[in-house]
This record gives sequence, C-alpha cells and structure tokens, in this order.
Amino acid sequence: MSGTLIDFCKQLEPTQLKLPTALLQAARDGVEFQHHFPTTRDEAWKYTRLGRVAALKLSPVKINQPANPLPSSETIDIIFENETWHCAEPITGLHIDFSGALDTTAWNACTLQGHVQHINALTAQGGVAIRVDANTKIIKPIRIIHRIQGEHTGLILHHQFVLGNHASAQLEVFFEGTSQDTYANVLFDFFIGVGADLHTDMLQQTNGTHYGFHTQRIYQQKDSTFALQTLTANTHFTRNDVEVFSQEEGTHTQLYGAFIGRENNHIDNHTYVHHTAPNCTSDENYKGVLSDKATGVFNGKVKVYQDAQKINAYQSNKNILLSDSATINAKPELEIYADDVKCSHGSTTGQLDQQALFFLRARGISESKATDMLIKGFMAEIVGTVKSSHIQEALHSLLG
Amino acid sequence: MLKITDLHASINGTEILKGLSLEINAGEVHAIMGPNGAGKSTLASVLAGKEDYEVTSGTITFEDQDLLDLSIEERAREGLFLAFQYPVEIPGVSNVNFLKTAINEIREHKGLSALSAKDFLSLVKEKSALVALDASLASRAVNEGFSGGEKKRNEIFQMAMLEPKLAVLDETDSGLDIDALRIVAGGVNALKSKENATLVITHYQRLLDYIIPDFVHVLYDGKIVKTGGKELALALEEKGYDWIKSAE
Repeated sequence: MSGTLIDFCKQLEPTQLKLPTALLQAARDGVEFQHHFPTTRDEAWKYTRLGRVAALKLSPVKINQPANPLPSSETIDIIFENETWHCAEPITGLHIDFSGALDTTAWNACTLQGHVQHINALTAQGGVAIRVDANTKIIKPIRIIHRIQGEHTGLILHHQFVLGNHASAQLEVFFEGTSQDTYANVLFDFFIGVGADLHTDMLQQTNGTHYGFHTQRIYQQKDSTFALQTLTANTHFTRNDVEVFSQEEGTHTQLYGAFIGRENNHIDNHTYVHHTAPNCTSDENYKGVLSDKATGVFNGKVKVYQDAQKINAYQSNKNILLSDSATINAKPELEIYADDVKCSHGSTTGQLDQQALFFLRARGISESKATDMLIKGFMAEIVGTVKSSHIQEALHSLLG
Repeated sequence: MLKITDLHASINGTEILKGLSLEINAGEVHAIMGPNGAGKSTLASVLAGKEDYEVTSGTITFEDQDLLDLSIEERAREGLFLAFQYPVEIPGVSNVNFLKTAINEIREHKGLSALSAKDFLSLVKEKSALVALDASLASRAVNEGFSGGEKKRNEIFQMAMLEPKLAVLDETDSGLDIDALRIVAGGVNALKSKENATLVITHYQRLLDYIIPDFVHVLYDGKIVKTGGKELALALEEKGYDWIKSAE
C-alpha cells in the first residue's frame, strides 16, 4: 500500500488554523494510529477505494488576502481562487473572518473522526468563519466559491458558520476547477442557534481528475431549521460526509441530494443524523442518475437515541442506472432506541421508465430529448428545493 | 392515407396479428371492434412503433411511406397519433412543457419555425377548452394525480394540440363515465376534417353513438373478419361476438 497518512500530510503545509492543542494532538494521534488510508475492509469506505488518493502528489495552496474587496453583487461573495481569497464588504450583522482563529465555543463542540477530518486539522490552509448576529436576517445569499486550479493542487479548508439565535441566512457553495490530479478537503461546521434558519445549496461541478472530500457537520439548537441541498455533477471523485447533531427539541433538518455521474465518475454520499432530543423532524431525499461506468454510493444513517421520543425521520434514496456498467451501492440505515417515533427509509434502483419513454417518443420527441426530459423530471423534486439562482441555472444547462 | 396489407405481428414469439389488412382514407372514421385478445391493442401498438412487438410479415404504408421503416418519433412527426389506453404518469415533467417540445420537434420536422410562447399559450387555451380540461391540469406534471377521465381528456387535448393526420384512439372509452365520454367524443368530432382520419378501437358500441364511424371492422383472432357500416356495431351489440365466431 502506497503512501501513509503521515507522508500524505507532509507534502502539505502544517495547519494555519489556531486549533485548540487537544484537537491538534487528537489529529496527530489519529494519523499515527491509523497509519494508512482506510481500505474497503473499513465499513465507512467499503465502496470507495482510496488508493489513487493515497498516491496523489500534491503541492499546497498558500492563501493570501488581496487588498481590494469584491464589488457588491446580488450575492455576498467569498472566493477561494488559486493562491488568494477575495471577499465582499461585510454588512451589518454579518461578520466574515479569515484569521484562522475561528469561534472558540465552536471549536469546543468539535471532535475529529476519521482520516479526512484528521488530514483537515493537520494541514488546513485556512477557512472562513462566518457569524450572523442574533435576530438578524441576512437577505442576500452568501456565496462561497472554491476554484481549484493547477495540477497537483491540494486545497484544505475548514470553514465555520455560526448563526445566532433567531437569525436566518442563505448560503451557496460552489466547487469548480478543470485541472488534473487535484485534491480538496473542505470541512464546514454549522452552528445553528435557537430558532435560527439556514438554507444551504452546494454545487460540486469539477472537471478533470479531482478528488473532492466534503465534510459538513451541523449542530442544531432548539427549534432551528437547517436545509442542505448537495448537487454533484459529473465529478471524477467525490465523497460527501454530512453529519447532523439534532441536540435540542423542535429542530427540523432537510438533507436533499442529487448526483449525476458518467464515464468513470465515483460519487459517494454518506449522511448521519443523530436525533438526541425529542420532537424533531428530519427529511432526507437523495436521487442519483448514473451512466457509462459511473459508480454511486448512498449510505444514509439515522440514529434515534433513547430519550428522543416523537421523532419523525424520513429517508429516501432513488437511483436510475442508464447503462449496464453503472453501479449503485445503496445502504439506508435506521437505528432506533426510542419507542414513540415515526421513521421510514427506503431505496430503489431501476432503469428509465420505458413506458414513459415510449409515450414521449410517440408524441414526436426524439429519444435523446425524451431521456433528458425524464431525467430532469426525476430530479425535479430535488432541484425544486434549490433556492440559489446560480445553481438553478447551472442545473438547467446541465439537465437540458 | 394508411394501408395495411397482410400484417403479421407477434410478441415474445406468440403471433397476435395473423394477416390483417385495412385501408383508411382521408376524411374517414373507422372503428375496430372485437373481443378481448383479438389483437386490437396490438394493432395500435404496432402502428405507433412499440418495440415489444415484432412484425414478421406484411406491409404498412402511411402517406406513401413505409411506416415500419420509421422510428416511433418519426411516425408521430409524420402525423400519426396514438391516444393511449392507459396514459402514463410522468412526475416532474409538466404537461405544457412536454407538449411545447413535441410541437416544436414536429414543426422542425416540417421545416416550420418554433411557436412563440404567446402563440403556444393561446393554443393551449383554445384546445384545452375543447375537452373542458382545466387550465391548471395543463400546467401540472403529465397525468400525475389526474382522474381516469382527466387522463383520457388529456390524451384528446394532446391530439388537438398536435393536429395529427391519423389519430388512433385505443379504447379511449374505457373507464369513462357518460359525461366524460361525451366530452371526449365531442373533442374528437370537433377535430374531424377532410384532411385527417380517425381509427377508433373499442370494445363497446357505446362510443360509436357519439363518434359516428363510416366503417366498422370486426377484429377476431388477429384478422379482420367482417366489415360494414355503423349498423354492424349495433348488430354486434345485440348479438355479441359469438355471432361472428359462429358465422366464421
């Protein structure tokens, strides 16, 4: 097995974040103890091979801040591009910070699990800390763009988003780039205050042989709402880990995802929702369309803890395979320790509806256009929940 | 317009049509009646080009072209329309969106420019009124949550929008109450002209009270065994298909 985790980290710069010592030590211990990248014998990586990732030769991006702020637009923009980041002028109630200090209370809530998070902690080049004051509604969407350019680029970031009590905001996150053999390890920690509401749309649309690891951890307080739409379009290698901690009563969580893979694309979505408090709901819906030799993974886990009564948790995963060589590995999981809950999960995989295809063609529509229409129709319930007009446009041109 | 000669067709190796011949001219309304399993729906599917069916021998010419050489969509663009016995539901695909695509693909085939959004919408308004289809149904996903009657009215609405030369109505009356039947038949009659033709496939004579056929054919065991005027439908209704079977 090539490349240990320590070797992998050594080719990158040591972390620029001001991490609590205990966390940093935990990450060091983690990579030393685990030593190698996980293999398919490891349950969390059963369907996703990391050999190519371990063998990547990387040079880190050094991130500098440019002098001039971005002009104001319809969104409040934060752009990570090549070796610089750009940021729009902050507005009242919204704080954007790049010092790497991040929020101390937020750090205290963190633990690190698995090699992706360990690498992130040891080699993060920075990240943005966004804070919205309590009782503040940020109307303009906040947009974070990651442009991963240049062969052998490694972009490692740890972002934080702290939404004060009864605040609300809308976030759009983009990953783009066209270079070969690039690596991104981008972690978001979301802290959603009491009664707060955050809607996040994320589009992963990198060309080239890019290896993208995306981690989102969401900590929800009482009566808060969090919605995340993860859209992955024709990426070479993507692993998404979304972990929700519903910590207090009355939270609502929506995790939607759409993934489209072709050629040798590998797209892996892992989600884990922890219901530790009663009277909460979570709604999860992932849909995939795979063609050629593409592979998809859906592993959704919902755990309802003993005292978390009156939980409504729904999980659905539906996939369409357009070729005989495309593969989907679907694993919906429920773990319930409370006795008064409503939970459902299900997963289906099939081909395009041949009756519907015949119907559309019998009305004069070509086979390829009819196929596009059916795929678009299949994805409509996910795409319909996307608020970002930029992402809507991107999906529109992608889905025809 | 349409000429079927000695058509044999099978599905999964079982022969269903066993030498069917039929000729339809512009301006005519033909009805095909027959008992269950006679091959009525197979005929409709073969005409539309459904790939599950294999034509083993015989010819079909449509407007002087070899229909069997054309793909499903080419047949539609040449003016063949099949109203489905069981209209499919397509979640996420809106009725008007798909119709707009269909109309413009057909227009492109004919060398015409795409319809403007305004012209398209006024066409939707005009044609949906013809079958009393609520405008909100037109903008909903194709047949999703439609009642049985609404689905059939939607088929005729699509027919009105696409203005085919030959419309094949496959058991359009099945599952319709008498009011819905009147509306559907009224729509079909309103679309009738000297240039187009209609082939009504039905089990019962009832629909033919509203859509008056010029010719009635009896399909039995894969062949047309009797042809007559509209009075033949009445005789069938009265005497049943056994009368044909025993006469054979």
